[in-house]
Amino acid sequence: MVIESAHEFETQDLLLNVGPQHPSTHGVFRMVMQVDGEVVRDIIPYIGYLHRGAEKLCETMDYRQGIGFMDRTEYLAAMNAELSYVMAVEALAELEVPDRAQWIRMILVELNRLSSHLMFMGAFGIDVGVFGTPFIYAWREREAIIDLFEEISGDRMMYAYLRPGGLAWDVPTNFVARCRETLTAVRQGIADFDGLLTKNEIFVARTQGIGFISAADAIDFGMSGPSIRASGVPLDVRREEPYLKYNDVKWDVITHTDGDVYARYLCRLGEMRESVKIVEQCLDRLEPGAIMPEKMPRMLRTPPGEVYIRTEAPRGEFGVYLVSKGGNRPYRLKVRSACLSNLQALKHMSVGQYVADAIIVLGSIDIVLSEVDR
Amino acid sequence: MPTGLLGLNPWLDGVVRLLLIVGLMTVVAMGLIYIERKVLGRFHARIGPQRTGPFGLLQSVADALKLIGKEDLRPRNADPWTFEFGPYMVFIPIFLGFVVQPFMAGFQVRVLELGLLYFVAVSSVSIVGWVMAGWGSDNRYAMIGGMRAAAQAISYELPFVLSLLAVSMLTGTLNINEIVMSQAGVPNIVWQPLAFIIFFIAALAELNRPPFDIPVGESEVVGGPFVEYSGIRWSMFFLGEYASLFIMSILISALFLGGYEWPFGTQLGVGFQLLLTVVKASVLIFLIIWVRASVPRLRIDQLMGYAWKILLPLSLAQILINGFVLVYDLPKIVLTVAGIGGVFALVWLTERAIRRPRSARASAIALSEAAS
Amino acid sequence: MTSEETTESTEAAAPTATLDGTIWAEVDRALSGITASAERGVLDVIVHVPPAEIVRALKALKADATLKFDYLRSLTAVDNEADGIDVVYHLYSTTARHNLTVKATLPPTNLFIDTATSIWRAADWLERETAEMFGVRFNGHPDPRTLLMPEDMDDTFPLRKDHPLAEIEILQGEGMGYSEEDQ
Repeated sequence: MVIESAHEFETQDLLLNVGPQHPSTHGVFRMVMQVDGEVVRDIIPYIGYLHRGAEKLCETMDYRQGIGFMDRTEYLAAMNAELSYVMAVEALAELEVPDRAQWIRMILVELNRLSSHLMFMGAFGIDVGVFGTPFIYAWREREAIIDLFEEISGDRMMYAYLRPGGLAWDVPTNFVARCRETLTAVRQGIADFDGLLTKNEIFVARTQGIGFISAADAIDFGMSGPSIRASGVPLDVRREEPYLKYNDVKWDVITHTDGDVYARYLCRLGEMRESVKIVEQCLDRLEPGAIMPEKMPRMLRTPPGEVYIRTEAPRGEFGVYLVSKGGNRPYRLKVRSACLSNLQALKHMSVGQYVADAIIVLGSIDIVLSEVDR
Repeated sequence: MPTGLLGLNPWLDGVVRLLLIVGLMTVVAMGLIYIERKVLGRFHARIGPQRTGPFGLLQSVADALKLIGKEDLRPRNADPWTFEFGPYMVFIPIFLGFVVQPFMAGFQVRVLELGLLYFVAVSSVSIVGWVMAGWGSDNRYAMIGGMRAAAQAISYELPFVLSLLAVSMLTGTLNINEIVMSQAGVPNIVWQPLAFIIFFIAALAELNRPPFDIPVGESEVVGGPFVEYSGIRWSMFFLGEYASLFIMSILISALFLGGYEWPFGTQLGVGFQLLLTVVKASVLIFLIIWVRASVPRLRIDQLMGYAWKILLPLSLAQILINGFVLVYDLPKIVLTVAGIGGVFALVWLTERAIRRPRSARASAIALSEAAS
Repeated sequence: MTSEETTESTEAAAPTATLDGTIWAEVDRALSGITASAERGVLDVIVHVPPAEIVRALKALKADATLKFDYLRSLTAVDNEADGIDVVYHLYSTTARHNLTVKATLPPTNLFIDTATSIWRAADWLERETAEMFGVRFNGHPDPRTLLMPEDMDDTFPLRKDHPLAEIEILQGEGMGYSEEDQ
C-alpha cells in the first residue's frame, strides 16, 4: 500500500515547438504543443511573424495604391481581397460599377477561389502524408488559372487588376475562350482529386472524426468560410448578403454536418464544383460594355463615413472596415481576416488529439499567414 | 557450402565477399534512388531527373557526391557516441541481412540452414540505430521519431515473423534456398495469399515506407531521427533505407513468388534465374513506390491498432489453419480457400476500422442528445 | 472636429431620421436602460454605446430573442486623436441574418473597456490585437499578451495616429505629387 508513493514515476509533458519553420505550418506560424506521449495536451499559438503593418501603410497611401497591399495581404486569393477593398471604396465614394465589370469581377473572384482551393488540396495532401502527388496535381491546374490571370493582369500573383469603380483595363479578346479552356482543365483536376483522396481508405481514416467543432462553437469563435460550413452552418456571404451578381446565377451553398476535417475537405471540393458552375454562367452572360463608370474622377476622394464590407473569400469572410474623413486616403483601414478567426479555434479543435492530427487540423483550416498577420 | 569463392583462403574470401556486398549494395541503392525518383515523378505527372547525364541517370551519383561533400555536423548538445554510431547501427544489420539473399541457385553469400531466423534476427537490430539516432540528437522531433520507430518495429515484428512462420511450416524448413526450391511447381502465394499480404504490409512497416513512414513523417516530425544529420551520415540512413528495400523485395519474391525457381528456373539455367529474381523484385519495388505515391500516412495509434488488432490475429489464424492442414493431411486447396477467405476478412476488418471513429462519435452524439 | 467634418455634419445628422425600417427599433428595445444612440451607416446601423455599459449592451444584443447577434464579425478600434478612440464591434446574426455596428468611444485619458471574450470567444485575439495596436486595455481579458507585436512591445501603439511613420512611409505620402492641402 505504501509502495506507490515511494517509487512513483514522475512524468513530464514534452513541450514541442512547431514552427515558425516547419513544413506543415504553411508559412511562419508557430505553436508550442504540450505533448504527453503522442497526445496533444495544450497548444499555444504564436502569430505575428509576418506582420507588416499593412493597415497602417494603407493609411498613408491613396485608394489606388492600397490595392497592391490587399494583394499582399491575401496572396493566395488576391482577387477576392482586392474585391473587398475596392467595394469598400466604391461604397464610400458611391460609385456605380458597370455590369460588364461586375461579371468579370465575379469570374475572376471565382477562378481565384478555385486556385486557392486547389492550393489547399495540394498542401493538405502533403499534411496528411501523401508524398507529393496531390501537390503536383494541384499545381498543374492552378498553373492554368494563374496563366490566365497573368494574361489578364500581367502578373502571376499580385494582380492589382480591380479598381474602385471597375477594372484596370478590359480583358483580352480571347478571354472567354481561355476561361472555358481553363475550366476544362480545372474540372479534370477536381475529378483527379476526387479519385485520389476522397475515397482513399487511409485518407478517410486520418481525417474523419478529427478536429471536430460543433456549429455553436464555430459561430462563437467567429469562424467562417468552408470551416464553418463544414459544421453545418450555411454561412456564406455570397448567399446571405449577395454582392456582385451572385443573385443572378444558380449555385448552392455546400454544407456538411460532421464538422470534422473530412467535412472541411468535402466542403472545399464541393465549392470548387460550384465555382466552376458560377464561372460558366458568368461567361454565358458576359456582354461587351464599359468597365469603368462614366463619371470617374481623376483623383478618387471619398466623403467622410465608414463602411464594413464583407465578401466571401476562399478561406471565409474577408472584411474591410474603411473609415474615411474625406480626402484621398483611408483614415483607418481594418482587414477582417478570416484566417485569424478560424485559427483561434485551432486549440479548441486539436487539444486531446494526436500530434499528427493537430497538424492536419491546422492544415484543414487552410491558413494564409500573411492574411493572419497582415 | 564449401568456402572458396575464386579459391581464396577463408579470411581473404570473407573480405572479398564483404567488399562485394558493400559495393553491390551501394550501386543498388543508388540505382533504386534514381528509379524511385523517376517513377515517383511519373506518378506526380512530372518528368523526374533528366539533366544529369542521359535520362538523368547520373542523378544519384551527383546526389552522392553532394552528400559526401557536405559538412558532417553534430549539434553541440548531442551525445557524441550515440549520435555518431547511430547510422552504423542502422546500416550494418541491413547489410548483414544481405548474406542470405538468394539471387540464383548457388549464388549467394552464404546458405544458412536457419536463414529465415538469421534474417529476422539481424534485421530487427537496426531499430537500435534508429533509437540511438533519435535519442542522441538531443532534438525533440528526433526523439519522438525514434520512439515511434521503436514502437512500430516492435509491433510489426510479430505479424512479420508469424507470416514467415506460416511459410516455413508449409515448406518444413527455415533455409531460404530450400523454400525457393520447394516452389518449383507452384509459388507459395497460391497457398498462402493471406500470409503474403500480411507479410507485405508488415514489410512496408519494417521498411518505414509509406503509409507507415510515421517515424520520419515529414509533415509532423520533420524527418524524425534524421533531423539533425547531414552529409555522409545522413546518406548512410538513406543508403540503408534503399538497401533494405532491395533486400526485402528479394526476400518476398523468394518466399512467396517462387524466387529464382518458378517458372522453369532450373530448366532454363542461371541466367534466366537472375532475370526472374530481378523481374520479381522490380515488380515489388514498383508496387512499393506506387503505394508511396498514392496513400497518406497512418497515425501512430492506427498503425499500432492495425498490427495488434488485425494483422496479428489473422496471422495467428493462418498458422492455425496451416497446422490443421498439415496435421490432418487435408488437401492443399483448403489452404488457398482459407487464405482467400482470410484476405476478404482482412479487407472487411480494415474497412470497418476506418469507418469506426466517425460512427462512434455520431452514436455518442446521438446518445447525449437523447439524454438531454 | 475639423472644419471639413462640420461641413459634412448635416449628413451625419440627417440619418437619424432615416432609421425607420432598420433594426434600430428592435435594438433600442433590447438596449432599454442603456443610453444608446444610433446613426445610419452605409450598410449597417451604427449604435453608439457608452463604454461603461458595453458588455451589458453586447450581452443584451446577443441574448435578445429576435436580434440574436451570435456572431462577432470583427472587433477593432479607430483612433480619432483628440476625440478619443472608438472601439468598434461588427455583429451579425447567423439565424436572423442582420448586421449591426456597435461603437464605444473611449476618452483619450481613460482607455479602459470591459472585455467581450465572455460573450464571444472570437473576441479573444481581436481584443489582443486592438490592445497592442491602440493601447486600449480590456479589463478582464483572460490572456492579455501581445498578439502580433513582440512580447515586450507594450508602450508603443503602432496604429495610433500619433505613432511616428517610418521615413519610407512619409516619403510615400509625399512622393505622390500632391498633399492633403491641394484639395
